[in-house]
Amino acid sequence: MLSCSSSAFQRVAFMLMAPKLKPQRLHQIAETGVEQLVKKARTMSTESSMKDAFSTYADYLNNFNEKRERVVKASRDITMNSKKVIFQVHRLSKDNKEEVLEKAGKDLEAVRDQHFARLMRELQGTDFWKLRRAYSPGVQEYVEAATFYKFCLSGTLCTLDEINTTLVPLSDPSLEPLQINILDYILGLADLTGELMRMAIGRISDGEIEFAQRICQFVRQIHRELMLVVPKMDDSYDMKSKMEVMLQSVIKIENACFSVHVRGSEYIPLLGDDAPTSYLLGAADVE
Amino acid sequence: MMNSAFRNVHITASRLINPKPFSSSILHFLPLCSGDASPRRSNPLRHRNSVSPSSSFPFCSTSSFSSFYIPMAGGDGQVSHSLEKQFESFRVQLEESAALREQIRAVVMEIESATRLIQANLLLVHQSRPIPEVIEKAKEKIVDLKKFYGRLAEILHECPGQYYRYHGDWRSETQAVVSQLAFMHWLETGTLLVHTEAEEKLGLKSLEFGLETEDYLTGICFMSNDLPRYVVNRVTAGDYDCPRKVMNFLTDLHAAFRMLNLRNDFLRKKFDSMKYDLRRVEEVYYDVKIRGLISAGDQEIQGQS
Repeated sequence: MLSCSSSAFQRVAFMLMAPKLKPQRLHQIAETGVEQLVKKARTMSTESSMKDAFSTYADYLNNFNEKRERVVKASRDITMNSKKVIFQVHRLSKDNKEEVLEKAGKDLEAVRDQHFARLMRELQGTDFWKLRRAYSPGVQEYVEAATFYKFCLSGTLCTLDEINTTLVPLSDPSLEPLQINILDYILGLADLTGELMRMAIGRISDGEIEFAQRICQFVRQIHRELMLVVPKMDDSYDMKSKMEVMLQSVIKIENACFSVHVRGSEYIPLLGDDAPTSYLLGAADVE
Repeated sequence: MMNSAFRNVHITASRLINPKPFSSSILHFLPLCSGDASPRRSNPLRHRNSVSPSSSFPFCSTSSFSSFYIPMAGGDGQVSHSLEKQFESFRVQLEESAALREQIRAVVMEIESATRLIQANLLLVHQSRPIPEVIEKAKEKIVDLKKFYGRLAEILHECPGQYYRYHGDWRSETQAVVSQLAFMHWLETGTLLVHTEAEEKLGLKSLEFGLETEDYLTGICFMSNDLPRYVVNRVTAGDYDCPRKVMNFLTDLHAAFRMLNLRNDFLRKKFDSMKYDLRRVEEVYYDVKIRGLISAGDQEIQGQS
């Protein structure tokens, strides 16, 4: 450990002569030219073993950070395209359900094929949990889109198993398939209610009261079930705030249904299929 | 398309002609659309399905989903049943996970208290106790640590691939462990405890349960934070050679850390603090040097160069 002392000494010597110079600068001065070489030669053994070790850490960190970047990018693409699916589903009205949902279904499939496949390649083994924070937003958005689509299609909840089943064929047989975890599924489901609220309000304005009531029941059920699950979740902080938003959505839908029930019952029989629904505007204060 | 025709029929039928029987048949074959979710009740329903006017529809195949739309699912009994079942299973799974976490935390607490004992022992070096004696005592506790980490690995063995799901529960404790081990190692040998050595000391050799590189590096930064105090106290105790040793070590360590491309995270922050440790040590060295307190050993070296 005597090895570096000469340059260290010089540093101090410089300090004595020019005390206002910063140590770093002194360091540079001290380590120029011959002295540096001499020092290098002498410190080779201890210093280079440390450097060797750190270069493996550097490789590890570089590789891992690159991987994380790729996962984040895939996650962003999934988010973006899942949002498009959600918007597509929102475009449905009484007359275009088939086409709208068919396109939404295809878009959803494209998200799987193009972006989930990318994610899957990166998330083998322990990386699945290690990088969860990097991909979780995208997966949540996808869950939201898939469940939203499925509900509008069939009026049922798309279960985690169903979603995961659609992800299996994507994988290379040599890779383990990517399976969405419960936490991301639940977080995505919590966001679903917001979309359903918008949908319910839109459907009411369109005269599809039954559909809105169906949404109302469904959302209530989801809220009730999630309420029981939330305290058991690992990091329930996110989820708690989502639950509050969810309750607000449920209440909004209920109020809208209430308005229809109280005020609408007299009007509905009178309305044609495409009659204006201005009497409901009071309920549609949501958006 | 056929489907929209069907739907129109459904709407007019249910509204105008004879709503009840028709819509109820729709309600009953609806669960079939959820495909693999409800395979076991497909038999009786399929029978019903054949009675319905649209038996030619491939209701069960996923591809037909997109062309089939019913706003009022209505079959609440069935639907909410499968929904409840799913959430029930979520609760079970999350409870299992929470139980596992409990186990982990119990072990982590033991790790934490063992680390504290080591630290308490090592702190004696500030009171100028002889280093070999201090280290000897601290070393005894490493056996315990090794045992605890073995137990942790055992617990996590039950859920392969989920190391990082629970990693946060022992992360900071492990960083503290590394810092103590590295300090001890430096006191003994004057060199840095490298990652593989640290893993060895803790018995973390398996691929499944290793020492996370970032935790190791963070632990090393913690160790660096302790060094200025050590230097100050050694000098006070009359060991004027110590600042130079520590300064060289820290200079090398700092240079090595600069090879890493860090993200803007906790480790980066800790690394940034390392330069203050280095500066403090340099100051101490300066103070000692300027007063000519450094022993003849240094003069010798100067002669050599």
